[in-house]
Amino acid sequence: MKKEIINLTVNGTLHEISVEPQVTLNEVLREQLDLTGTKLSCGAGECGACTVLIDGKPELSCCTLAMTANGKDILTIEGLARDGELHPLQKAFVECGAIQCGFCTPGMLLTSKALLDENPDPTREEVKSYLSGNLCRCTGYVKIVDAVLAAATEMNKGGK
Amino acid sequence: MSQKLTCVGKRITQKDVLLKATGEARYVPDVRLPGMLWGKVLHSPYPHAKIKKIDKSKAEKLPGVAAVITVEDAPKILWARSFRDMPMAPSGALQRADEYILADKARYVGDPVAAIAAVDEKTAEEALELIEVDYEQLPFVLDPFEAIKPGAPLVHDYAKNNMAVHLTPPPFLVKGDVEKGFAESDVVVEEKFFVSKQVACQMETQSCVASVDSSGKITCYSPCQLAHPFRRELGKMFNVPVGKINVINPFVGGSFGCRLSCHNEPICVLLSMKTHKPVKLVYSKEEDFISIDTRTPHYYTVKMGFKKDGTLNAMNLDVTTWAGGYLSRAQLAGGITLIWGLGHYRCPNMNGSCDVIYTNTTVAGAGRGFGNPAIMWGVEEVVDMAAEKLGMNPVELRLKNTKQTGEMANMGLPIESSYIDDCIREGARAIGWDEKRGKNKGGNGTLKRGVGMATMTHCSGAWPLLIEHSNAFIKFNEDGTADLTVNPGSPGTHIWGTLSQIAAEGLGIPVEDIYIVTGETDKTMFDLGSHASRSTYVTGNAVLEAARLAKKQLLERAGKILSESPDDLDVRDRQIYVKSNPEKKTSVANVCSQAIYNLKGDSMNISGKSSWCSHYNSIPTAAYFAEVEVDTETGEVKILNFVTAVDCGKAINPMTVEGQCEGGVQQGVGYGLTEDYVINKNTGAVESNNFTSYKMPGTMDMPETTKTIIIDKPDPKGPFGAKGVGEPGLVGVAPAIGNAIHDAVGVWMKDLPATPEKILKALMEKSPQQD
Ligand code: FES
Ligand code: FES
Repeated sequence: MKKEIINLTVNGTLHEISVEPQVTLNEVLREQLDLTGTKLSCGAGECGACTVLIDGKPELSCCTLAMTANGKDILTIEGLARDGELHPLQKAFVECGAIQCGFCTPGMLLTSKALLDENPDPTREEVKSYLSGNLCRCTGYVKIVDAVLAAATEMNKGGK
Repeated sequence: MSQKLTCVGKRITQKDVLLKATGEARYVPDVRLPGMLWGKVLHSPYPHAKIKKIDKSKAEKLPGVAAVITVEDAPKILWARSFRDMPMAPSGALQRADEYILADKARYVGDPVAAIAAVDEKTAEEALELIEVDYEQLPFVLDPFEAIKPGAPLVHDYAKNNMAVHLTPPPFLVKGDVEKGFAESDVVVEEKFFVSKQVACQMETQSCVASVDSSGKITCYSPCQLAHPFRRELGKMFNVPVGKINVINPFVGGSFGCRLSCHNEPICVLLSMKTHKPVKLVYSKEEDFISIDTRTPHYYTVKMGFKKDGTLNAMNLDVTTWAGGYLSRAQLAGGITLIWGLGHYRCPNMNGSCDVIYTNTTVAGAGRGFGNPAIMWGVEEVVDMAAEKLGMNPVELRLKNTKQTGEMANMGLPIESSYIDDCIREGARAIGWDEKRGKNKGGNGTLKRGVGMATMTHCSGAWPLLIEHSNAFIKFNEDGTADLTVNPGSPGTHIWGTLSQIAAEGLGIPVEDIYIVTGETDKTMFDLGSHASRSTYVTGNAVLEAARLAKKQLLERAGKILSESPDDLDVRDRQIYVKSNPEKKTSVANVCSQAIYNLKGDSMNISGKSSWCSHYNSIPTAAYFAEVEVDTETGEVKILNFVTAVDCGKAINPMTVEGQCEGGVQQGVGYGLTEDYVINKNTGAVESNNFTSYKMPGTMDMPETTKTIIIDKPDPKGPFGAKGVGEPGLVGVAPAIGNAIHDAVGVWMKDLPATPEKILKALMEKSPQQD
């Protein structure tokens, strides 16, 4: 099949990549760019494990054709910490016990980042509702929601 | 344990969790080796079919294909996905070798019949389409009761009437005279139940990367949580010395029982042997749903007889366990339901039976709680039914019959410690039992509220039914830090953190100074692996003993430096000091460094190693309380509040214990209400093969509040008083919800999951004769 060249800015770095039309963003990130922090679980848009941010919005990389992300800005879990400094959400997830096996974690963290960017001071219900497409089999979600709320508090203190 | 604990009991995050937050943690699907090929598996579309011929020529000719394998290429050796020859009692429940690496005959929809290795995933997928299999479809049987009828299709020739095994309870659970016991009871309740085939739904799909080099060394990256027994099975399967095999567990994305077996690993190893290249094989979620071990489904009858005052007088359990096309651990998960069910309450007369039956369905094996969630659903509903007939408060009825410390536990050994009554009382208080029970039946239009409860006892390892053997090795580094070598597996339960806390407390150094070496059979001594809530208790005791020995060596060396008797020394804050004169001290680092680097000719690496075999089994206990709201128009159940009160001895890390319990609630909510494994009766195909058709709970399905109460009273045998807690979180969740549904709307749900349709049907059947 015919390959095309696309440009993706991933975690701030511009990549020129040649892809076939049916290739997903998930495959490009994991197989071509070796960014394996983005997970693949259901592969069908049902679990949120593959979530990345495209131009700041949470998207399921398993259902996104790489071509459609041409020219866009992509944030994966590898880009969440800046200059060796963890994002407050990462700190909160670690400290609150929100991570068990960790397979849902990258997707949870990026979805949570999108939430806090949109709504810096969410209620518990709002967090639950925003994360409703992200499945976790380990934690029962309790400490994940706790962590998002803790990060929000921290960021609102001016932590940023 | 009179000394003050400095590390045990603290909420400390396991070190490597950070890597999961940054995306650096690598799981099996993330492993990439130079020259690696991609594997793909062809699964049978038929539930039962003779494989007459497989033509692989077209697939082999596709450019980029390196190997196509079928049963012809596999060793002519039957193997057991759940591993052969484990010393185990009763011996009738032994694992059975009943399958080849690739199927000789398809026994369920999803049975692997061929596999490909190719340069990339797409080529491997294309090649799959080119394999031509000539199947002769055979009559099939999905239902266990059909399967045992004369003339039913045979899944395995050796198993007459498809009966894999008929089990009776272990002798210590056959007591008195059951018939007489029922005759002498004032209230007898007998009910039939069905529990479905819950799927593990671990988020990381089943994967393997295998590499066999020219020397014949096998390196196998696998999520299997019994790495050492798996290594032995691989050795037997391929006739390779165990020393030539390294099983590596990188990070593992969840297990919940399914990783007790190996699945596509042998196929992956065989592909690597044939191609002389590393091969990666990653199942899709659909492949997971149809072809890795599920929880065992059971049909069963619970019969319990009580005296007027609520004393349990007689109990009988008859269980039918529905295995799949191969046995895996179904015989154990079936048989052990008798142990959990009969072993929970004090009872003078009891008996039971369990048939384990082959069917042409996906294999059923281990699931978190291993049969305990299945059987306690029925047992705890029957207790509530009896409470209603006796006119007793279900809390009081349970308190009347719970076993206490010193009585015989479910596995036939004395109970080392039980605080189940504390669990019941504290849980009842937290949910508001007295204010809420039976109080809101007529309330709020179509929304009815109720509260319900359940209890359980579990285990800390499987002794004396199974060997419980772990090893630990601790060595001090020259800077006073210590490496802890263990290999219990970690599917995400933070066991490495728990063991590090035990080591730190035992050595008297900060937990930051403990570095864990784990995850490879080449680097570690034997550990049975992670199952039966054993690791904190069994591996934990091994670690504590290794720490004791290492500390002894440390103090002996320090004694020479300080010219003091080792008995007069202790360790605190990285310093070794004289107990009677704490000002006289030297640092741990100094002692360790001098021990390694010196010219006196007496260098040593200060260390401790222990082999630990449990000779006892401390049972964790728990009580669960649910408050629900049932919509009588839609049948929907909303869980308002959930409380788990758990007696897991001393909690080494309360945050980890809460995490296990909270996660257990999610799985129990799914087991009780939403997770339904649907098999098409006409084709044998799994219809619930994705997260849309198989509904595992998301954030919005969870209780509005979830609370974990840790009783936190030390057990005499566990390390620092800890008992197991990995599985208990789940066990009684569903029955507590079921009993709350009854309190709300007056129907008993006997068939899991209790979906809105089933609840509506039950309400409809009930309404004519009610008000
Ligand atoms: S892997 Fe993309 S939504 Fe599940
Ligand atoms: S932490 Fe394991 S799936 Fe969420």
